[in-house]
Amino acid sequence: MIIPRRKIQATVPTFAMGDIGFLLLIFFVILARVQNDSHIQWTPAQIDEVEPAAAALAGVAIDSGRKVYLDGREISPDSLAGQLESILGDAPEGSRRVHLKIDKDTPAAVFEPVIEAISEAGGEITHILETKDSER
Amino acid sequence: MKLKRGQLLVDPPGSASSDIAFILIIFFLVCASVQPEEGHDQRLPRAEPQEDQRQQTKNLEVSITANSIVLNGSPLDESTFPAQLTKELAERRTEADRVVVLKSASNTPYTRWIDVSRMIDKAGGLLTLEVTEEKNIRVR
Repeated sequence: MIIPRRKIQATVPTFAMGDIGFLLLIFFVILARVQNDSHIQWTPAQIDEVEPAAAALAGVAIDSGRKVYLDGREISPDSLAGQLESILGDAPEGSRRVHLKIDKDTPAAVFEPVIEAISEAGGEITHILETKDSER
Repeated sequence: MKLKRGQLLVDPPGSASSDIAFILIIFFLVCASVQPEEGHDQRLPRAEPQEDQRQQTKNLEVSITANSIVLNGSPLDESTFPAQLTKELAERRTEADRVVVLKSASNTPYTRWIDVSRMIDKAGGLLTLEVTEEKNIRVR
């Protein structure tokens, strides 16, 4: 007598699919929103009053080690103007904003050529600063 | 006779607490990453290698070091500088005349520079930088 082998139905449990989808959604939201220059070590200068900074097409930073970054990538100050020009492209006046983050102790010999390069590329500078009473 | 009501100890289900903690971590991460940035807009004329020398001589000139301010050759106190600059700019009507050339010593820290450039903005001046280029020439 042949005893038929019992067939086991293998099903993928779909009970947690909603939770997994939700977590994946949040994960990609974070990836999209986290700024790509968060690894740069810098201390902002402080002033009496600051305004909310509008969205920028590019971000230039100078860290505490006097290194220059464009959108989170280290770059030579000499090539900054050219690369920035290609990022800003033909964007109309008023929307060519560039966020500039400079460490508070950076000497003029380092930051002035960077400001000049942004100006040469036609960028509109927003200095990222903080108010005197706030702490980072 | 009073009968005591039996008190039941109800344990909250602990199996979901790790999920809740994870969601809370993500929530705070999102909050931290979307924190808006603040700053100060600065209008600078587009950099040009050669400027009209005649116009440059007319412009107001501010020279700064880490601890001094000089306006058109006269050393000023930081407290008197804004008033003096406003007075000088009041006589200038056209935009071209309101250009203020800012020269910084190479070791001037950014904090100092931003303070002075804001003073110029507030006084109604149009900030322009004068950057000196350093070139190393090898002589045999």
